[in-house]
Amino acid sequence: MKNANDNPTFESYNRDPKLYDEIFDENDNVRDIYKTLFNLYSEHSAKDFGRLNNKAKSSFFNQGITFQVYGDHEIKEKIFPFDLFPRIIDPQEWEVIEKGVLQRSKALNSFLWDLYHDKKIIKEGIVPLELISSSANYLDQMNGFDPPGGIYNHISGTDLIKHSDGKYYVLEDNIRCPSGVSYVVCNRTALKRALFGVFNHYQAYTVTNYAENLLEILQTVKPKGVDVPNCVVITPGIYNSAYYEHSYLAKAMGVELVEGRDLFVENDFVYMKTINGPEKVDVIYRRIDDQFLDPLEFKPDSALGVPGLMAAYKKGNVCLVNAPGTGVADDKAIYTYMPEIIRYYLDEEPILNNVPTYHCSRPDELAYVLENIQNLVVKPVDEAGGYGISIGNRLSKEEIEEVRETLKENPRKYIAQPIMSLSVHPTYIEETESFEPRHVDLRTFTLLGADKDFVLKGGLTRVALKKGNLIVNSSQGGGSKDTWVLKNNQ
Amino acid sequence: MLARVANNLFWMGRYIERAEHVARYMNVNYFASLDAPNELSQSRQFVLQSLLFMADDFSRNENELNEEEVLYDIALNPDKAFSIINYVKLARENANSARDLISTELYEAINKFYHFVLNYPVDQFQKRGLYDFTVQVTENVSILRGKIRGTLLHDEVYAIIMLGVNLERATQVIRIINSKYKDAVLAQGSYGDTLKNSYEWITLLKCAESHDMMRRFYRQTPTSFTTLEFLILNPDCPRSVMNSLNQVCTHIMTLTHEKHPKKNSSAFLIGKVRAKYEYKIIEEIEIDLESFIQNILDDLNNIAIKLEKEYFHY
Repeated sequence: MKNANDNPTFESYNRDPKLYDEIFDENDNVRDIYKTLFNLYSEHSAKDFGRLNNKAKSSFFNQGITFQVYGDHEIKEKIFPFDLFPRIIDPQEWEVIEKGVLQRSKALNSFLWDLYHDKKIIKEGIVPLELISSSANYLDQMNGFDPPGGIYNHISGTDLIKHSDGKYYVLEDNIRCPSGVSYVVCNRTALKRALFGVFNHYQAYTVTNYAENLLEILQTVKPKGVDVPNCVVITPGIYNSAYYEHSYLAKAMGVELVEGRDLFVENDFVYMKTINGPEKVDVIYRRIDDQFLDPLEFKPDSALGVPGLMAAYKKGNVCLVNAPGTGVADDKAIYTYMPEIIRYYLDEEPILNNVPTYHCSRPDELAYVLENIQNLVVKPVDEAGGYGISIGNRLSKEEIEEVRETLKENPRKYIAQPIMSLSVHPTYIEETESFEPRHVDLRTFTLLGADKDFVLKGGLTRVALKKGNLIVNSSQGGGSKDTWVLKNNQ
Repeated sequence: MLARVANNLFWMGRYIERAEHVARYMNVNYFASLDAPNELSQSRQFVLQSLLFMADDFSRNENELNEEEVLYDIALNPDKAFSIINYVKLARENANSARDLISTELYEAINKFYHFVLNYPVDQFQKRGLYDFTVQVTENVSILRGKIRGTLLHDEVYAIIMLGVNLERATQVIRIINSKYKDAVLAQGSYGDTLKNSYEWITLLKCAESHDMMRRFYRQTPTSFTTLEFLILNPDCPRSVMNSLNQVCTHIMTLTHEKHPKKNSSAFLIGKVRAKYEYKIIEEIEIDLESFIQNILDDLNNIAIKLEKEYFHY
């Protein structure tokens, strides 16, 4: 058995026995699946890793694989920090994840169909009406409309964590415009460039097949009467934080990357303005939010969208991917009903665990939350990007009091969950020039089309680079790791 | 291809080319002036005025120019529309909007170029960096030319970039001629030479990176006559106006789908302008160089306007 202390690179690695460490077990032994990697990494000194780390960073920077952070005065260009220690998932573990996320995506799709048609789940009292009626993301425009292929959430990003019990829990379903898949591909490329040798010892699935599968999915939901659909990706523009991803996906699929101003609608058909005149567009993978899609239907002052787009969509002349109005099903309040939603539509038991959740909208649960703030994470229902979250055991007495007041004022806006302990993974830390344990999560990517589905074998392992930090979002200083799904056991 | 993106690619080509001409003009003029043969052409004010003329900045008092300020403004001042840093920034921004169409290699090269200019230390530039900076800018542009030629599909995307590059090259070469002609008129008569044999013609050729080849072609010291003939009319000189027009002609044929372009099309106009200069002789040009320059700048501008109307309208 190799021990952490036999490896100079890991000399200063302090395993916290309270946390689930993905590579060391409770006796400080390296877990089987990581043994080969651990030995290979021992051949490098901490200095080597420092050098490789810098190389990887400048490679990302030169390629312009960056995102913008909006500060008080200026826009800064930042690279999404990349870590040299990959995360490995064995075939058995992956099988559960893959089945589980697909199950959730399908259940969510059925749920959306129901919400915009008969609303049976509400009539039968399984999901409370006020959750839907009070949701800003429910679009009346979608009521009674059949999206092409019957698909709403073509692309889903499911966020998972591994808790201290060693089990995966779903933290969040993202079915509006989930992002991050381009980083999965970049991370693989970067790791191959830096440490290609390690790939000789592990057989990991490729992740570069995402774009081709996405294109196939887009083609399955083409409007009626179209033979070979003209697909495009629509982006808010070069200043959007995910612009790199939009351009990557368009390039990898070989389709046009358009902005709202490149499109126009005539007689309920959508056209793009090319150098040879108008060209009809059939499927739009949109990376702009519902509210900006069409100034005639939503925000009238939005310049990002296309006037008349919703009308063309509702006539069935163009397909929008994901469908408008999916946001009603992925907020944090709906999340808490996911086990019931899965059982109701699929007649199956949920494969992946949900984190137990307290709804502040329910008086008895609110009472519990108010008494136990110090042991809970309180989250706003409708904020993305890790904003507005308070973690109970990090708060001072005054802060707890503040949270209590906020909850009482606006109970519908908040939910609370036990403090989940995200697993930790060895991560290269620049300041100390060594590997240290850091919290990680996993975002998976699932595609649903008419008679076709696909789960990317891999995903984005996001890591919170600040010591002890649990928030992994890139806007809050998170990085990411290459993630290997193995073809067979080591 | 989207009309908007085509427009951006066209301007990407123009800005890349423009950055290089401005950098080279700065470099050649500044260093040529250090040991120029006559008092006027050796003076700092003279060369700074020339640089500002080329940069199209007429905003300051011509007799009290501050060297550090002028050089900084033209090279690295992000607040000046005519600065190299601004051209590179715009080139990158345009490339960014067409990122799905151009190669990763080309984008990476433009991006590296941008970060090089952006991070060039200003104080180092002002103290001793002029040569290093301007040479690196021209080197970077050469790399970009190689990536454009060697990594892109030679289709519409390539044609549009090359249209931008060549129209800009013709425009900048004409502007350099204009600027150096003005200098030659002002600084006549060192060791008795006339306008025709001015030292400024050699500087002009160097500004267009054409001095050595011109010598090879004519086997004699440049005069106004041979210099202008070489830079304007010689189709084999890669920096000549004629060469650029020929290339514009080639690349517009990738965009147009008609063998015989319609009278109101860009392709027709381009062919017409090219024909006009193809059979021009230098004797006709020399009679009135100033009107000739104005004329050709108008022609080039009209081509750009026509292209915009026909292809980039969105």
